[in-house]
Amino acid sequence: MIHGIAEKAIAVFSWVLTLALCLSVAFFLGYLFFRGFPSLGKELIFGQADPLKAVMGSIRVFEGIFPAIVGTICLVVLSATLALPVGVCSGIYLAEYAGPGMKKLLGMLFDILAGIPSIVIGLFGFSLAVFLHNHFSDHFGPCLLISALSLAVLVLPYIVRSTQTSLEELPVSIRKTALALGASKLQNTVYVLIPNALSGISSGIFLAIGRCAEDTAVILLTGVVATAGVPSSLLSQYEALPFFIYYISNQYSNQAELSRGYGACLILLGICAALFLLAYGMKKHLSYRTLYRA
Amino acid sequence: METKDKIIFNGVSFFYGRNRVLDTIYAKFQEHTITAITGPSGQGKSTLLGLLNCMWNEIPGARCTGEIRIRLGNDWVSPLEKDIPLPLLRRKVAMIFQEPNPLPMSIAKNMAFPLKLAGMRDKSLIEEKVRNALVQAFLWEEVRDRMEKSALDLSGGQKQRLCIARALVLEPEVLLCDEPTSSLDARAGGIIEELLVSLKAHCTLLVVSHYMDQVRRIADRVMTLQDQGLRPI
Repeated sequence: MIHGIAEKAIAVFSWVLTLALCLSVAFFLGYLFFRGFPSLGKELIFGQADPLKAVMGSIRVFEGIFPAIVGTICLVVLSATLALPVGVCSGIYLAEYAGPGMKKLLGMLFDILAGIPSIVIGLFGFSLAVFLHNHFSDHFGPCLLISALSLAVLVLPYIVRSTQTSLEELPVSIRKTALALGASKLQNTVYVLIPNALSGISSGIFLAIGRCAEDTAVILLTGVVATAGVPSSLLSQYEALPFFIYYISNQYSNQAELSRGYGACLILLGICAALFLLAYGMKKHLSYRTLYRA
Repeated sequence: METKDKIIFNGVSFFYGRNRVLDTIYAKFQEHTITAITGPSGQGKSTLLGLLNCMWNEIPGARCTGEIRIRLGNDWVSPLEKDIPLPLLRRKVAMIFQEPNPLPMSIAKNMAFPLKLAGMRDKSLIEEKVRNALVQAFLWEEVRDRMEKSALDLSGGQKQRLCIARALVLEPEVLLCDEPTSSLDARAGGIIEELLVSLKAHCTLLVVSHYMDQVRRIADRVMTLQDQGLRPI
């Protein structure tokens, strides 16, 4: 009897907490939408500039957040491009090829890396920029490439661990199926294990994309500035939405400016959602293309 | 008769870490026969099968000593000596698991998968081999009109026959069956039994089974694995 009541109480408690969590997210998004929606529009993104000309790059946008949007997208894509191959390959190595000792050692190193505060990673990026500037070329300095590299280091553990875990958690029946049919270890990994683990791997990638898009501490030290325009090369400084939001929330002089910050938040969320959808679409496409296409 | 022998175990022992699972096993298995292996659970029956196609290699901490010889074509190979590449060995010494394990794709792709792994690209040859294997596994008539449908939609018995057909498509010389009917109902199990008996003409079968009735129906020879040793009944 008491056992039954306790079980019911736990179920109700869990349900209430889940509901509270969902409501909190809904309230948060609603509030953001309420504050930011009025400022959404052509003017927020392009200011007084002609949108077509701005997109074509023939004129520079001074008052809008278009350069920050482009900078953020460049940053996320570049960081993901740098981190994904290394992270996924390391995860595969740890799950499928590493011996117990190596697995333990590398696992511990990646866990330590995951625990390093982002500002420290930013400092590492800044030191790297200074080192390159002093020893190689004056062209090097805090820039888009250094920021992307630092962010890649920041998100690497998520990708490695999610890849490793999702491969290791595959049922033995899936592991053995292709091997028993004469697949080599590599064929089994590429055609069966990775496609089957793709959901888990992509969770890590989603997390990494989100982290790349939102992190401010790293980019603060490695190349982001308030006014740089659309980045012209990997070695140029750039603008980014998280920094714009941080900057305007500290420096706003009236409610209209703050409202632009909320608008930028909505756009940042939109970019993250779009990148998630893109990654999800790629996952489905990849899964279809790679799954068992020996 | 040396020429009729297909598989020879010569003092084979198997260990998981320090734990001895099989102790100095000597046995011979003749070609085109069905040998049933029975015995209590946890005695190492599945492990014994896994020694023949080296699936034990995938288990961390496992170790095997002694000699296993398998006659493939006219040549004897010794898997423990690694004198044959693993993929090649596993194509010739195929394995059917307790739970049917079709891959999440169409019936046609499931069947063609092992052939493509083996590097076969000729579409018409693949189709011919797939059809022959499905006929051999008593499944062709049931699936010929839905080859592009998902294999996961088949019934339990059909899935197991698909897995047997998928193994047969590689034309194995030895078929290892690890309790192939234990997850099926009596009717589906009966069809599989009939199928296994018919396959004797093409390959040598080792079947692990708990069901003594089934063993009596299909096996030419019955052996029991108990106290780390393999003995004929």
